[in-house]
Parts: sequence; structure tokens; C-alpha cells
Amino acid sequence: MAVTKDMVPVIVKTGASARVAEDVSASFKVGDKVRAKNFNPTTHTRLPRYIRGKVGTIIMDHGVFATPDAMAHGLGEHPQHLYNVVFTANELWGGNASKDTVSIDLWDDYLEKAGV
Amino acid sequence: MNGIHDLGGMHGMGPIAPPAQEPVFAHEWERRAFALFVPLFGAGCFNVDEFRHSIERMAPAEYLEGSYYEHWLHAFETLLCEKGYITAAELDARIAQMKGAN
Repeated sequence: MAVTKDMVPVIVKTGASARVAEDVSASFKVGDKVRAKNFNPTTHTRLPRYIRGKVGTIIMDHGVFATPDAMAHGLGEHPQHLYNVVFTANELWGGNASKDTVSIDLWDDYLEKAGV
Repeated sequence: MNGIHDLGGMHGMGPIAPPAQEPVFAHEWERRAFALFVPLFGAGCFNVDEFRHSIERMAPAEYLEGSYYEHWLHAFETLLCEKGYITAAELDARIAQMKGAN
């Protein structure tokens, strides 16, 4: 694809969306408690270490997006749902005094249902 | 990967205190580095995930010492060489040429 002059402001301003127009079923829904999987790939992932093994709540389903873990290694889009998940600071760092939270976008593959 | 980029929760890195009037580009070359992204990405030389991963693969000490746009330049050099758009010898020759010009 050749980049033309009129495309430049759009790319600079908005980037290119990784949204994929494909119907993929979601493993989770808004309100679900989920645990981030503990995995340590030597390849690319958008799941930070400090989130692994921690329990959070899904507050938004963004829809279907390409998976960076696959895209970074020539493995195609591997489209799946992307969620915004909120974790309490106390869950991430211990203690019980903080009211802070961390909201982070996580792909379906990164998550498992949290045991009750 | 569990690389140096994954700093969340790490202590001792000092306060996050950006200047009130932070310039978009601290140096003129950064303007040019930024401009390289659009044509290379647009031409399909790499995608954004490959771009991020190439920065994550930087040597940890180099990563910590490097500025934001130094990371970008490192990504361009790494990916263009790895994917065969340029050779390491061509890159070295161009760097030597530019050093000679200064």
C-alpha cells in the first residue's frame, strides 16, 4: 500500500485500528470476575507481569480485535474479544488501604473464569 | 516477553515529573524519526505489534538509557534489517557517511 499525502494526517492522528470485522464468540461478559493467566511467553504479549494471576472485573467488551501476540510474529490476526478489566490496587499490590484501581485492556486468551 | 519494558510495579525509577511545557520533539532528528513511521508502516514493512516487540527486545541497559525516539529508531533499524529491506552493511555505511558529513 502506497501512502498518499491525504492519508498522512489520518494515520498520524488516529493510527490504524486493530478492530476486526469478524463474528467471534466472547468467553466473558461485562461484570464477570476473571483471573489473568500466569504465562511467561518469550514472545510478544500485552499482558503485563503485575497482572498475571490477579483477579479483576470486566467492565467493558470492546468487541473483536486482532491479537498482538500473534500479529507480532507473523501468525495472522487471531481475532478475539478485547475487554477492559479493572483490578483493585489492593489485589495487585497487597494491603487493604488503597481505593485506587487499574483498568487495563486484555484479550480473551489472557483470561480465565475466576473461581468463586 | 518478560523484558525491561514491563516496568509496572518496579521501585527506584524516580518520580514521573514531565515538564509543564514539554516540546513534542526534543531534537530536530526526532521529528524525522517520527515521520519515518507512517511510510514504513503504510508500505507494510512492519505492523505496530512487530514494532513494539522490536523495542522490547532491546538490550535492557540500552533500553533504559534510550529516549523515546531512540527506541523508535532502534525499531526501524532492527525490523528493516531483519526483514531484508536493508542490510546491516548498508546501515553501517550510511551511518559512517553521515558521521563523515558532520
